[in-house]
Amino acid sequence: MLRWVRGRGQAPEFEDVALVHLDLLYRTALRLTHNRAEAEDLVQETWLRALRHFDQFDPGSNCRAWLVTILRNAFLNKLRREGRERLESEAAGDSAGSANFEDSAVDRSTPEEEFLQTVFHGDVERALKTLSEASRQVIMLADLEGFTYREIAQVLSCPIGTVMSRLSRARQLLRKELRALAREHGYSEGSR
Amino acid sequence: MTCREFEPMLHAFVDGELDVETTTAAQAHVSSCPECHGRVDGERRLRLLLRQQPQDVAPPEFRARLLAVARWERRRAALRVWLGVPAFAIAAVLLAALLMTRAIPPGPSAPRFVDTLVDKHLVYAQIESPAEFTSGEPGQVAAWLRNRIGMRVPVPDYSHAGIRLVGARIAEADERKLAYLLYEKGHMLMSVFMLPDAAEAQTLPGKAVSYRGHEYLTRERKSLRTVSWRDGQAVFSLVSMLDYDALLECADRLRAERARETRL
Repeated sequence: MLRWVRGRGQAPEFEDVALVHLDLLYRTALRLTHNRAEAEDLVQETWLRALRHFDQFDPGSNCRAWLVTILRNAFLNKLRREGRERLESEAAGDSAGSANFEDSAVDRSTPEEEFLQTVFHGDVERALKTLSEASRQVIMLADLEGFTYREIAQVLSCPIGTVMSRLSRARQLLRKELRALAREHGYSEGSR
Repeated sequence: MTCREFEPMLHAFVDGELDVETTTAAQAHVSSCPECHGRVDGERRLRLLLRQQPQDVAPPEFRARLLAVARWERRRAALRVWLGVPAFAIAAVLLAALLMTRAIPPGPSAPRFVDTLVDKHLVYAQIESPAEFTSGEPGQVAAWLRNRIGMRVPVPDYSHAGIRLVGARIAEADERKLAYLLYEKGHMLMSVFMLPDAAEAQTLPGKAVSYRGHEYLTRERKSLRTVSWRDGQAVFSLVSMLDYDALLECADRLRAERARETRL
């Protein structure tokens, strides 16, 4: 009788290595699409693509970065198909902005970060929404999902140096937004 | 290390991305410089705040669906190797059936027999090995079934219509044993369920259709068509995405095959 399944002890099955990253894929898709149905569609597409190219996946390499890369490419293709180039243009805007990053963004005057204690529930989400897609993505991957610079570089297909500059800029922008929200809630500089 | 030297590596330092030597040097500077220490502290707090954000998780039914998709996809690959058919098409149609299940509202509260068979068909489409006994030879499949359930079961040959026998299994529905035949045509599967001895009056649901002088009941559920009929004590049911014409033709041949066997 014919055997359907690869024998045990051989290469792992797709779902054995991929399923643990499903929540990550779902969250990442949600952050890109801002819509649950679209996010599910995107994850489903990613899942099928990854499944069909699983033979090309090197078991020793980084699975979550591989999956998120596929997801991001699927999303970008979808944008292109729909004629939306939002993410790309914003990414370009971001790197153009990093030229004068040294002058403007560094906030050396603030020795402490007490305002962070005044950050309310929901503020982080609000602040993240004000960031560009590219900035938000790099923060999500690094700070919410704990990706290394190397993994982020793989996902965004850019050099590690670019990851570092984008990340520091994105964090500065996020901090600025959070500070503004803290002020809205009555926090004033030097009150503590 | 000076503040000026430390500045560009602030984030990499906090993220633990520096090599050991540089980390040691940076740590020494941060310990001795209140200003840089404050900056590092600020970055760490921001990171902590972000990590504490509530995290969405994939809904359980979505997870289950993707898992089924992965299993089905692997089955498809096995089918392709085994049958040498363009199994991608099978996958497309059955995946569609699988993925569509989320949009289908739950059926009537008391699942009827044929509905159970439709569910069986969907389940078999997802499992690794839907046929316990795999063979394209009707004679071999019939012999296997005879050994397993101790009675003659018609195993029609539909190969002239491009419908190939995949194999058989013993299925169970409503705690009764059924003979199950699996066929495939190009990209579609067809399940044949046979309940050899339906002693109690089994009401079959569906719309009555007459085909070549015989009565059949047709019913559509979860994008699958069913054709069922009673023949003496036995109940037969075909489940597939194939159209009714093809299914009725298969039903007619099965009926003829059974009549021929009974005569033997």
